[in-house]
Amino acid sequence: MNLKFKNKKITGILSVIPENEIKFDDEMENYAFSKSQSMKLKLIMGYNKRRVVKEGTTVSDMCVHGLQHLFDTNKLDKNDIDAIVLVSQSPDYFIPSTSHVIQGKLGLKTDMVCLDISQACSGYSIGLTQAFMLLDQEEINKVVVLAGDTYSQKVSIQDRGSRPITGDAVSITIVEKSLTDNIIYGAINTDGSGAEALIIPAGGFRTPSSPETSEMVQDSKGNTRSLDHLVMKGDDVFNFVQREVPPMIDKLLDRANISKDDVDYFMFHQPNKFMLKKLADKMGVSYDKMPNNIVENFGNSNSATIPVNICFNLGEKLLENTYFLCLAGFGAGLSWSSVLIEVGNLDFCEIINYNN
Amino acid sequence: MEDFIPSISELLEEETVELTDALDSFEAWDSLTVLSMIAFFDSEYNVQLSAEEIDDSETIQGLKNLVESKM
Repeated sequence: MNLKFKNKKITGILSVIPENEIKFDDEMENYAFSKSQSMKLKLIMGYNKRRVVKEGTTVSDMCVHGLQHLFDTNKLDKNDIDAIVLVSQSPDYFIPSTSHVIQGKLGLKTDMVCLDISQACSGYSIGLTQAFMLLDQEEINKVVVLAGDTYSQKVSIQDRGSRPITGDAVSITIVEKSLTDNIIYGAINTDGSGAEALIIPAGGFRTPSSPETSEMVQDSKGNTRSLDHLVMKGDDVFNFVQREVPPMIDKLLDRANISKDDVDYFMFHQPNKFMLKKLADKMGVSYDKMPNNIVENFGNSNSATIPVNICFNLGEKLLENTYFLCLAGFGAGLSWSSVLIEVGNLDFCEIINYNN
Repeated sequence: MEDFIPSISELLEEETVELTDALDSFEAWDSLTVLSMIAFFDSEYNVQLSAEEIDDSETIQGLKNLVESKM
């Protein structure tokens, strides 16, 4: 689905990352593979360090911490927030929605819109486009897009396929109306027939968690997990990304009538280094225009990897300069989405730690 | 397909391989090697394979047949 927006802008991005760091080398012995196999995996996939929450810490805790930081440093006035769009698949509760929990904890005004969007790796662009739509309303001038997950808590310690990539983080993006006559292009795509490619089979209403669903079972690849854990068909996801993402970007750039050379950076979701390199190769984009260093430093935090990527790799540069960014996310759903937007002169673009 | 054997040998970390060799007989045979093959066939031959198809092809010859059938 092609989307187009006028007179909207991003004015600040803050990423909140847990302090607790785990090294791949320290977890190798949990996996049913030889050390040399795991070292090869580390090298090719770009595994090293990842940041994860301690048990009990939720997305709302990190969002509240980050928003409070923005209030305390006068980067955001709490009375100016007209809407919160929270993109996450690790809700605090089934009822109520996490955005409402955050609104309540921070004592924000009641005259506002709060929405939860259940999206993972493709979620950042979807959250942004939802914010752009809300800003078409006369009385909505500032939208806060919160995006992130704590799904490290749902990955088996004996799953070498998923465990080493998982990281936790949230991001806060401020989106406002703009007086300059800019156009933002976006695209959202959906293929629910691939729902099982990335799934936590139990724990929802379909199959509630029970002693049976927590039983650990080893699969044919040597990974052990239960139905309460995330399971990923890595090859299906890889093929899906290589097949769908390059044409989505070609179409997006075509609509904007620009070439890949006109884009300063392709700030993509980062599942692992290997996938990003193969995408860059297929698209004919140099590695320095498509950063791939987030998983090795922080892990893959689903919808937060794009803003973490922006804060970590562009950071202060975006306070002074303006860049043409192509954002793209892809993953659970299956879902793939993108946004082409000029970003610059930000009020803030940084990472803070969450100590729990 | 001229570079098939040299490329497969490299992916399997062997000096050379025979068409009759069983895929799971190689020391380097694991899910990462399978993923490397998926990426290789996608970029070099524009052929998309699943891990299951590769596993089921059993031998180097089987793998070659599989790739050729999709070209």
